[in-house]
Amino acid sequence: MIAFSRIGRRQLMTWVCGVVLVGVLIAGGAFSMLSDANAAPGTYVVTIENMRFSPDALTVQRGDRVVWINKDLFPHTATADTKAFDSRSIEPSASWSYVARKRGEYAYGCALHPTMKARLTVR
Amino acid sequence: MADTQKTAIVTVAKLPKSSDWAVTINRNCTLDPYDRRNSMKIIHTVWLGVLAVAAGSAWAQSAAPTDAQIAAIVVTANQVDIDAGRLATSMSQAKDVKEFAQRMITDHGGVNKTATELVQKLHVTPESNATSESLQQGGDQNLAALMKLKDGAFDRAYIDHEVAYHQSVIEALDKTLIPGARNEELKALLVKVRPAFVAHLEHAKQLQASLGKRGE
Repeated sequence: MIAFSRIGRRQLMTWVCGVVLVGVLIAGGAFSMLSDANAAPGTYVVTIENMRFSPDALTVQRGDRVVWINKDLFPHTATADTKAFDSRSIEPSASWSYVARKRGEYAYGCALHPTMKARLTVR
Repeated sequence: MADTQKTAIVTVAKLPKSSDWAVTINRNCTLDPYDRRNSMKIIHTVWLGVLAVAAGSAWAQSAAPTDAQIAAIVVTANQVDIDAGRLATSMSQAKDVKEFAQRMITDHGGVNKTATELVQKLHVTPESNATSESLQQGGDQNLAALMKLKDGAFDRAYIDHEVAYHQSVIEALDKTLIPGARNEELKALLVKVRPAFVAHLEHAKQLQASLGKRGE
């Protein structure tokens, strides 16, 4: 009984070690997948509401996508001062998506409303 | 200036609810749009007067405006500015003034579309009242005055009026309309459109400064 119990304990230990090892492997795999996800292009949302861009300063990595969503009651644009990007008119409840491919600091604003200013940084 | 304007002084002794502000209104009936130094102040006073007189007298007994009355004020206020914008897009020769005017048509049109949809949803019928009627009258007077002008004089008078008009509407929103709105959705709409009026005011002020330099 005691001997059987010892064997049982040994088997149990082996089993537990196996489970832990598998767990570590799974976790490791998941982590590496997560790291890959972080490296893959992301999507950022800028809300246009109450005559403001929110956030009004955004930093993204090259290749990331930025989506501007217009929640105001009339059209806006997201237009770089240098014209590096220009959404043209974004109607109410519509959005415009842009993949930031070139590094740089971009001051931009709404071409229709000169008081609306913001900044996009592409690293 | 004194010869060209008829001044009526209206004193509102006690205003309802949100206000104990006694207001003296110089209501200018025949405006000389060429006198820029005074016209700005007068236009602002007229609009303020239009909005304050009604706020004070029309509802002196019945306290603040009802939602139906607020709806009519909002729709008329936007429409008046759309009408002025339409005139300016056809009359002005300046690209930036025309663009501003088009912006007023589009933005105030967008606000009115939403306001109309909301009042329909809420089953509120906009109720004409002293303020909305005065706004309409003020708008008509503005159009009549502007139609006599052209070129730089037109641009300056139009933009001066836009500055004063937006200032007055912001004041009305803050003192009467937003505090007075009972329905939460109507109140929320008023709060939501306020930043647009503020941005328009800033835009108009920028143009005003720019036109001032051009005029010299």
